[in-house]
Amino acid sequence: MKRFRTEVAVIGAGPAGLCAALEAHKLGARVTLIDENALPGGQLFKQIHKFFGSKEHLAGVRGYEIGRQLLKDLERSAADVMLNSVAYGVFAPNTVGVVQRGEHYAIEAKKIILAAGAKENYMSFPGSTLPGVMGAGAAQTMINVNRVLPGKRIVMLGSGNVGLIVAYQLMQAGASVEALVEAAPNIGGYGVHAGKIRRAGVPILTSHTIQEVYGDGCVEGVMISQLDQNWKPIPGTERAIAADTVCLAVGLNPMTELAWMAGCAFTFLPGLGGHVPMHDANMRTTVPDIYVAGDITGVEEASSAMEEGKLAGIAAAASLGYLDDAGAELRKNEVRARLDSLRTGLFGEKRQTAKQEQMRRMEEFCQRKDRV
Amino acid sequence: MTEGVRFTGIPSAEELRGASGIPSQERMKKGPVAVIECVQEIPCNPCENACPFGAIKIGDPITNLPVLDGEKCTGCGTCVAMCPGQAIFLVNEAYSETETEISFPFEYLPQPETGDVVDAVNRAGEVVCKGTVTKVKMPPSYKNTCVVTIAVPKQYAGEVRSMKRLVLAESLPAPEKRSTASQLVCRCEELTREDIERAIDEGATTIDGIKRRTRAGMGLCQGKTCERLVARILSEKTGRPLADFLPATKRAPVRPVQMSIVADNCEEN
Repeated sequence: MKRFRTEVAVIGAGPAGLCAALEAHKLGARVTLIDENALPGGQLFKQIHKFFGSKEHLAGVRGYEIGRQLLKDLERSAADVMLNSVAYGVFAPNTVGVVQRGEHYAIEAKKIILAAGAKENYMSFPGSTLPGVMGAGAAQTMINVNRVLPGKRIVMLGSGNVGLIVAYQLMQAGASVEALVEAAPNIGGYGVHAGKIRRAGVPILTSHTIQEVYGDGCVEGVMISQLDQNWKPIPGTERAIAADTVCLAVGLNPMTELAWMAGCAFTFLPGLGGHVPMHDANMRTTVPDIYVAGDITGVEEASSAMEEGKLAGIAAAASLGYLDDAGAELRKNEVRARLDSLRTGLFGEKRQTAKQEQMRRMEEFCQRKDRV
Repeated sequence: MTEGVRFTGIPSAEELRGASGIPSQERMKKGPVAVIECVQEIPCNPCENACPFGAIKIGDPITNLPVLDGEKCTGCGTCVAMCPGQAIFLVNEAYSETETEISFPFEYLPQPETGDVVDAVNRAGEVVCKGTVTKVKMPPSYKNTCVVTIAVPKQYAGEVRSMKRLVLAESLPAPEKRSTASQLVCRCEELTREDIERAIDEGATTIDGIKRRTRAGMGLCQGKTCERLVARILSEKTGRPLADFLPATKRAPVRPVQMSIVADNCEEN
């Protein structure tokens, strides 16, 4: 086993981890960025659409172009990057266990920033294990990273932004989307994303669900049915759709294993994807040297992940003395203002409320601990 | 069926009437102008920066709906390419006596060519008439979004918002019901819903308890797939909220690694 020390270890080189590493490094901290993939960037390179937000959030720029820019910044920096490296555990004191190409490393860091991201929710129905049933994110990786079309006739389940965007991108890749099925009575994602696929002729079937998927060794058909107000299938509304691929876009949940192992206190917030580590306005968890950023703190989107990463990076570097308190506050407040602007409006407000609740519970937790 | 963008993905006539990005009828008659069909408050303002003439105002907060100043708008079409939501169109009623030009973003291949006759579609993707392609523009400043302009008979101008893709995937034969595969909850350990329910009947009250009885979550994925489903079944069967069911205890390795690499090295120490 090889041991080495660093000041800030960042686990996960997606939008949050990249921004955290770059920010901490820029301020002078010695940074080690760890990712299991061969290339940093996380899911950014799958995002071929133009991002929302404002100029400061790089709105109007396609996700993969943001990824390229971050990679350039990373190359120009002297940050230590460990790729093809699996962080398999966090151990006391402040040590990350990593396996890279058959080598075992124990990396002792003064501060650890966990930016492991999120994973797709799975659904179980008869036939859900047939080849051709996959996560929408998996389909997106196939078409946009590997340039392989998973199938020609797609049924998408879930009308959040992931379902809507991936349906659009599957059509850009040459597939036909037969239907987008949504259990709720309304569309979950942005109306403009829905509008794009409607204009391309995709029916959006709200109050519908997949009853089962069938076929001989692979997907051949999808049986859907309508749901009543209590989300129960209405008998007699079953209908078969010919398809060779079913994509599940039924939400994401935070990849919190490392935070759990590290002993971070959790709280349950359905709006953020379930059990999530509590953190304060500096992205610090209940374990003083451990920070979190991005989807691991609650599922949002890439723009907020980048801002949270910056916040964690600044906070970690500041706690190591690379910034004075006033300077740190100034920088952090700039990021917080940008985060706030992303968490507004019809869709963002819910996330803002959940995030505030997450930080409120953190405060409560710390006060309770102080009293004890 | 409930109307409106939240339910159908298509802004209702009422939503469009109330939108601040729709130019006046007088302005429409004068020539090309942006028609901004943005009716939902989302955090997004690239159109404001994209307009070289300052004709689009969003301001603060960035969730404000765009307000179009029809007099400032020259109908240049930059905003059509720059709107990440593809909610801006260009309408040119002054094109001819009989036809109106509609410009829209078109990010599919193959792209049409000027002079092509294409199927013009409405906001629901239904073909409403034929259209003749008059312009296909994709300068570098559009950042890989192609803007296509088609001329359609005047009476369809309010409806047409895109064109049918030129190449569509071939259709599949009508589905024939075949044998249904089994329904697995934990794929790694091949456990069905009944297996999980049996464990609950036997007294399991936590995700860890089910894991010990059934091995759900002990396979390659370490519960990344099934843990949520197990929590849901527990919640349904016990009537307790999802918040009650903490994730199973997490131990190293949280990702699949070769144990010999980790174990051999431990011996050395």
